[in-house]
Amino acid sequence: MQSELKHFWELLWAMTEKELRARYKYTIFGFFWLVANPILQMIVIYFVFSFFMKEPIQNYQYYLFVGLLVWNFFSLSLTKGTPCIVYERSLIKKARFPRAVIPVSIILSNVVHFLLALILFIIPVLFLGTIVPSHIPSIFFGLVLLLTFTSGLTLLTSALNVRFRDVSFFVQALLIIWFYATPIVYSITVIPYKFMWLWRLNPMTSVVQLMQYGFLNAPPPGIGMLSANILTTILIFSLGIMIFRSESKNFDDWL
Amino acid sequence: MDNSIAIKLMNISKVYTIHHEKPTLVEKFIKGKEEHFTALHNINLTIKEGERVGIIGPNGSGKTTLLKIIASITTPTSGKMITNGKVVSLIDLEAGFHPDLSGYQNIFINGMLLGMSKWEIYKKIKYIIQFADIGQFIDTPLFTYSEGMKLRLGFSIAVHSDPDIVILDENLSTGDLDFQYKSMDRIKKLIKEKNVTVVYVSQNIYFLRMLCKKIIWLHNRKIFKVGDTSLLSKYAQCFN
Repeated sequence: MQSELKHFWELLWAMTEKELRARYKYTIFGFFWLVANPILQMIVIYFVFSFFMKEPIQNYQYYLFVGLLVWNFFSLSLTKGTPCIVYERSLIKKARFPRAVIPVSIILSNVVHFLLALILFIIPVLFLGTIVPSHIPSIFFGLVLLLTFTSGLTLLTSALNVRFRDVSFFVQALLIIWFYATPIVYSITVIPYKFMWLWRLNPMTSVVQLMQYGFLNAPPPGIGMLSANILTTILIFSLGIMIFRSESKNFDDWL
Repeated sequence: MDNSIAIKLMNISKVYTIHHEKPTLVEKFIKGKEEHFTALHNINLTIKEGERVGIIGPNGSGKTTLLKIIASITTPTSGKMITNGKVVSLIDLEAGFHPDLSGYQNIFINGMLLGMSKWEIYKKIKYIIQFADIGQFIDTPLFTYSEGMKLRLGFSIAVHSDPDIVILDENLSTGDLDFQYKSMDRIKKLIKEKNVTVVYVSQNIYFLRMLCKKIIWLHNRKIFKVGDTSLLSKYAQCFN
């Protein structure tokens, strides 16, 4: 049992390394693309939205940037993770190994990129002087929530996508709407209270808010929002593991 | 449990859902019913440790499904299976290689997928490369390899993964003659040194006779006959 667990981690790490090595293998700028994308997004959104905002958000560039980093991690993990079992069908047909290493290694490789970009982001924020030491735990809590939610949801969608290939298209469409349903370009305070339940269902709200709070001293998520989001995260995570477990036994039948 | 048993199948059945068109969530909820196809029906089989079993039968008789179940690549719909020891399938040798990574890196990933630990691969990598005979190509990306090189590398990793039960099919005869004999020799060596159990699916009577002692004849998704290699000539007569 113990050696099985050890083998799982070894295999997971080897697959993650593979993901990292293969992704930027033949690109000239490599890792640079990972930071360049959110910077470009940030500049564009900054210019467009600063015309419309009635109440400006403090340090809006930074506010946008941290939200975009989180969002890019989430959406990249989900878009790459959902079809991964179908793409790696040759692995499924090769041997018996814990199938979960395929989607989880994709998420882990994104985690590495995300953390590196986050560390680069901290440097200018330190000069900005918005980091309050007592708020730092909320950053870590946000990261834990983000990882749990992303892996749970990706396990769920990747397992379902084997049988129902529409799932990956559905995810792509959903992500476009989801981006605007998360307080990345705006502050949650502009949302009328009667619509608030929608954001309560969306765990990304708390994740993004916790990060904005930790780095930029923006308002933290309320206790109602936080508990609703945590509950949804736990539900999705358990559902993801359950569905993946039962579906993975018969992946081969559908590939 | 009796230690001398390598593989035991009890009332194994496998039923596939037929999907005529691309299945969609909507279709499932609207139609609600599914069509089924039985690929294996009530298979009972015991293979002892060190036995070399050949499986024969016409196309569509359930040979591949049986192999997949023994290799735990798929799960039976009903019934129970017990295997004793490490099962390694030599079915899809090139599967799981990443074209952009080097031969060296691919050995690690592939070896781990087959259940080897990192340390084990470190110890054996010299022999794996030696047997695969890929020379200076070992640190070039895999897309530069010829088909034969990939096949040899895949085979070399698999036989070095220390299997107790080896699953083979006729794909092994996709390489050139030199590779076919080299691989057959290597499997014979495994049998001699480690007393591995072999399950071999093939239509090649010559190789079957050379390798196997026991023959299982599948017909219409059931076990039709079990016997020794004399079944092979009957089988050949039947289909010629």
